[in-house]
Amino acid sequence: MALDYKLVIWNSFKKQYDKIIAVSMLLYIVVFAIVTFTFNPESSIETLIIRAFGSLAIVMLHIILAIGPLSRLNDQFLPILYNRRHLGVSMFFAALVHGGFSMFQFHALGDVHPIYSLFASNMDYNSLINFPFQVLGFLALLILFAMAATSHDFFLANLSARVWKRLHMLVYVAYVLIIAHVFLGTFQQETSPFTIGFLILGFITISGLHLAAAFKERKTDSNKTEEDEGWIKVCTVDEIENDRAKVFKLANDRVAIFKYDGKLAAIHNVCKHQGGPLGEGKIIDGCVTCPWHGYQYLPNNGQSPPPYTEKVATYQLRLKDAIIYINPNALEEGTEVEPVYF
Amino acid sequence: MAKKEFYVSYVEGSLGTKTKVTLKRFVWICLGFTIAGAFLFSFFQKPFKNSTFELTNTTNITGTFHQSPYPMLRVKVAEGTYKNIVLLGFGKSSANPYLDNLLAQEKDLHGKILSISGNLIYYNGKTLLQITDAEKVKLEDQNGKVPKKEFLGEMVFEGEIIDPKCYFGVMKPGFGKIHRSCAVRCISGGIPPVLATTDKNSIAEYYLLTDLQGKPINDEVLSFIGKPSEIKGIVDKLEDWYILKIDPKNILILNKNSSIY
Repeated sequence: MALDYKLVIWNSFKKQYDKIIAVSMLLYIVVFAIVTFTFNPESSIETLIIRAFGSLAIVMLHIILAIGPLSRLNDQFLPILYNRRHLGVSMFFAALVHGGFSMFQFHALGDVHPIYSLFASNMDYNSLINFPFQVLGFLALLILFAMAATSHDFFLANLSARVWKRLHMLVYVAYVLIIAHVFLGTFQQETSPFTIGFLILGFITISGLHLAAAFKERKTDSNKTEEDEGWIKVCTVDEIENDRAKVFKLANDRVAIFKYDGKLAAIHNVCKHQGGPLGEGKIIDGCVTCPWHGYQYLPNNGQSPPPYTEKVATYQLRLKDAIIYINPNALEEGTEVEPVYF
Repeated sequence: MAKKEFYVSYVEGSLGTKTKVTLKRFVWICLGFTIAGAFLFSFFQKPFKNSTFELTNTTNITGTFHQSPYPMLRVKVAEGTYKNIVLLGFGKSSANPYLDNLLAQEKDLHGKILSISGNLIYYNGKTLLQITDAEKVKLEDQNGKVPKKEFLGEMVFEGEIIDPKCYFGVMKPGFGKIHRSCAVRCISGGIPPVLATTDKNSIAEYYLLTDLQGKPINDEVLSFIGKPSEIKGIVDKLEDWYILKIDPKNILILNKNSSIY
């Protein structure tokens, strides 16, 4: 958490994370170049750059897309999610090298503007086999640019978490565009069952991980509740671990009920920073701590401790015979609620 | 119950032992995935041709200029043997604008001897020259002999329309779907369209395309570039080149893979 904006708030973990990204990217390019010039020595440098960086961006995109569901399936992956933006920006730069070189090679130094040429050189938009695949790659690059350019917390705070999240969910549109770009482009000419199989396997893995994560979340949402005179009966005190929470779905909202220091408190489950699941967080120094980036909220009023200003909605709880009841009507964000003692 | 690990970036030492093990495994798996990707995507590329573009070398050649109908230089390579070098401009453009200075002095350059410095492009017996500066085109004080056309008759070919600049050296690959947009730009910019064909014995031949009157044809063939096609036309032999006079309406796009791959 930080009050002012810095380009990157470095810590040892981030430095190590970025070193691994840089070394892996370099390794990819070196391996690609060695294999190409060993088995295909007539290749040109330009083609090598276009192909190496394009395929690197695709490999990185698969890893990026796997991190989200892996973190939902196993919280030991959360530290990777914490710094995923650095991986995303690095992937954008790889894609930019691919796109920039391709744009120059194929569309620059001609009789029309390169952007016009991109859209108008091949007008077979009504044909699948002859489709102008470069347009798909260009649109994907625009999305990746928008994501990379707004990846900083400054934009997150100013666009609002909801808008920012929606913008960054466009990564799935970019993924589809990139897959179509490759299948309608290079795979039409450079057909190999191994490279095609690699991307199909990647698609199956990414889809499988997302489905598994969704299934797990659905199980959480099916935590049983029962209505009793306007209050919802949720669980017993023993069912919640100390300094942890249990999540329940009330109407359209997920609510996290925390147990700490002999008290119970309920707050809205969604972190104001990036929409992280607060119910998977922990009470640290008396504050609910988000598992994604460590944003904190006081459990009794849903407010971030001063000088921070984030607020989430709170809920009233009632305890009867060690059974917890919750009032499903959310209180205004940051409203003080007397914790329930057990 | 075992204490669950919980990592917070700003809390020193919060990265638990089990989490560290998981992260290390993840990094190794990703590294393996990355190396496998690099190997597969590089190893399974189709072989590139040994075509050459001497981007950083400048070569000076002297020969007889003729437009048949595209600008070419007829160069003597041995006694009684001549090579016709196709002249091209910088980037995706024709050589014609680079000759304007000389045309201001001489009304017609056809048959004049020119000395030109540029970058050679060559593959499979064909040579082209990229001119990057009009100042590097010099008019010599002599006239030369232009090649004679030999009529061969009407023929039908299967092949692909390519731009010769990229195909013969500048790009790899310089044909097919991957390269189509670039070839469209080159031919639209004035580079002569060429039909590349391969016969049953994998012998390649190349035909400079013109209209039925033997005039340059560019915009009319743009929609056929990079697609395997059947093309009917009248063939003239021009020493080491063939010229194919066509009516673009007779180009038939074939739904098959190109044999020039």
